[in-house]
Amino acid sequence: MIDMTADRATEGGSLEVIGPGRSRWGKIRYVFGQSKSLTAGTILVGIFILIAFLARFITTHDPSAVLVGPPLSGVSADHWFGTDKVGSDVFSKTIAATALDLRITASAVVSALVVGVALGTIAGYYAGMVDLILLRLLEILQSIPTLLLAMMVVVAIGPGEFNVVVVMAFIGMPYYARLVRAEILTKRTWEFAEAARMVGGSPIRVAFRHLLPNSLSPVLAYASVNAAWVVLVTAALGFLGIGIEPGTAEWGSMIARGQTEIITGEWWVSVFPGLFVLILTTGFYLLGDGARDVMDPRSRK
Amino acid sequence: MDSGLSRQLVTRLLLVAPVIFGVVTLTFLVARVFAPDPVALYIPAQADEELRQKIRAELGFDKSIPEQYGVFLADLAQGDLGESTITGRPVTSDLWDRLPATVELALVSLTFAVVIGVPLGVLAGARRDSPLDFSVRGITLIGMALPSFWLGLVLILIFFVILGWLPGPVGRLPLGATAPEKVTGLYTLDSLIRGDLALWWESVRHLVLPGLTLGVVIVAPITRVARASMVEVMRSEYIRTPKALGIRKQVIYFRYALKNALLPIVTMIGTIVGFVFTGAVLVEAVFNWPGMGKYGLDAILKSDFTALQGFVVVASVTYIVAFFLVDVIYMLIDPRTR
Repeated sequence: MIDMTADRATEGGSLEVIGPGRSRWGKIRYVFGQSKSLTAGTILVGIFILIAFLARFITTHDPSAVLVGPPLSGVSADHWFGTDKVGSDVFSKTIAATALDLRITASAVVSALVVGVALGTIAGYYAGMVDLILLRLLEILQSIPTLLLAMMVVVAIGPGEFNVVVVMAFIGMPYYARLVRAEILTKRTWEFAEAARMVGGSPIRVAFRHLLPNSLSPVLAYASVNAAWVVLVTAALGFLGIGIEPGTAEWGSMIARGQTEIITGEWWVSVFPGLFVLILTTGFYLLGDGARDVMDPRSRK
Repeated sequence: MDSGLSRQLVTRLLLVAPVIFGVVTLTFLVARVFAPDPVALYIPAQADEELRQKIRAELGFDKSIPEQYGVFLADLAQGDLGESTITGRPVTSDLWDRLPATVELALVSLTFAVVIGVPLGVLAGARRDSPLDFSVRGITLIGMALPSFWLGLVLILIFFVILGWLPGPVGRLPLGATAPEKVTGLYTLDSLIRGDLALWWESVRHLVLPGLTLGVVIVAPITRVARASMVEVMRSEYIRTPKALGIRKQVIYFRYALKNALLPIVTMIGTIVGFVFTGAVLVEAVFNWPGMGKYGLDAILKSDFTALQGFVVVASVTYIVAFFLVDVIYMLIDPRTR
C-alpha cells in the first residue's frame, strides 16, 4: 500500500515513495496493478489519442468531401459507418472529429487547471480578504447551471473552436481553485510548510514550491472527470448547433445532423459518433476513478 | 423551532442573497454587453438610423449599460423579466406556461432515479466488492458517460422506429390532440381529473421515453453517491456493533446505515433538482417537449436575449434555492450540523 503520510512529508511526486527499490518500470506496473479502472481508462483514452494522431492514415475517405458514396447508404465494406444525407463517409468524419474533440478537451482542461490552481493557491495561502472575495466570485460562477452558462457565453462571444475552449476553461476553473484552496488551507500550518518558512522561503515560494506539489493529487484525479465533462458539453453544444462552426466534423453536430434520419431508420449517422463520445467519456471517468483509488488508500480494501 | 436553528436559517439566507445578486448581474452582463444589438432582430439591416434609434429608445436600449442594469434590477424586483422579442409576451408568463411540462418530466425522471438508485446504491455499498457492487459501479459509470441527447435518439430508434411500442418525438400528446383543460398543467393528472382515460394513456405513453432518458442520466450519480456514502457508514462502529449482535442484514442496511448515509444522498438529490433545467434543455430538444428547457433553447437559437436571460435567471435561482433547501433539510434531519 502506498504510504501517503510519507508522501506528504516529501517534496517529490508520489512515484518516489512507491515501493523503494523498485525499478521505474516496476513502479509503474505497481501503480496500475492497484486499480483495474486506471488501467482500463488509460487504455481507452490512449486509443483515442492514437486515433487522433493517426487520423490521416485511418480515414478511408476525405472526411469533408460530399458524395463519396450514395447518400444514406448503410454500413458496408466500403463505408464502415455508412454515409449521411450528403453522401459523406460517416466513419472518416467520426475519426476526423476525434482530433478536434481531444484538442478542445486537452486545451480546456489544461487552461482551467493552470488558472484554477494558481487562483486556489493564492486564495488558500493568503486566506483573509483575498480568499473571501475570490470564493464568493467562484460561488457565483458555480451557481449557474454549467450547460446554461456555456450556452449563454458561447452564443454571446460566437461559435468556434477557440471560443469553446475559453468557455470550457472558464467554467471548469472554479472547481480546481476550490480543491486546491481547501488542500492548501489545511496544509499551510503543517511542519513542512513551517520549516520552509523558517529557512527564509518567501510566501510565493512556500505556496507554489512546497504547498502546491503536496496538494496536487485530488486535482489530477479531478482533471480526468473535468475532461469527461468537457467532451460531453462540447458534444451537447454541437448538438444544439451553437458550439463549433456549422459544417465542421464534430461528434455533437454529427449526432444532430442524423436526428431526422433516426426516425426514418438510417440510424448509423447519429449512432456511431455518439458511441465515440460515450467510449471516450467512459475512459476519462475510469481514469478519474482509478486515480482516486490509487491516491486515496482509504477507498481501497 | 428553537432560536439557534432559526438564527442559523437567517444566516444561510443572508449568504444566499449576495450569490443570487451576483448570478443575476453576471447573467445581465453576458446577455446585454456581449450580445449583438437586439434592435437588429426587429428591423431589416437597410432601415435608416432614425428608425433604429426610435426602436432602441422604445426598448430601453438607448440608455447606458449602468442605467439599463438599474431598470433590469428594478423590474426584476417586481418579478418582471422583460418581454420576449419573439413571442411578444412577458417572459414570466411564457415560462409559467411551460413550467408544468418540465415539472411533469422532472417528477417522472426524479422518481425513477430515486426509486432505482437509492436502494441499488445502498445494497452495492453494503456488499462492497460483491458481483452486485461490481456491476452497479460499471453500469453507473457508463450512465454518467452517456450523452443524454444521444441516449434519447437511441431510445427513439429502439422503442418507436424498430419496436413501435411508444410514440415518436412529437411532444406531450399525439399530433392534433387537444390538451386537457388546465388544472395543474400536468397532463397525466388533468386528463384523470377530466375522466378521459384515453387521453391519460396517451399522455403517459408520451412521457415514458423522455422521462426514461432524463431518468437514466440522473440515476447514475444518485446511485454512486448512495454507494459511496454507504461504504463510508458500513465502516463505522455503530454498524459493527449490531452486526456483531447478529441483527438481520436488511435491518442493519436500511434502518441503521441508510439513516446515516442519507446526508450525501439528499445533497445529490438537491443538486439534481437544480440540474433538471440543464438536463431538460437537451432532453426537451430531442423529444420536442414544450417545456422551459425548449423555451430557453429556442431563445438562444433565435437570439432572443431577454427570454434567454429570464430563463437563465430562473434556472439559476432554482439551483441556488435547491441548495439552500438541502442545507435546511440537513439541519432538520441531522442534529450534528446544528
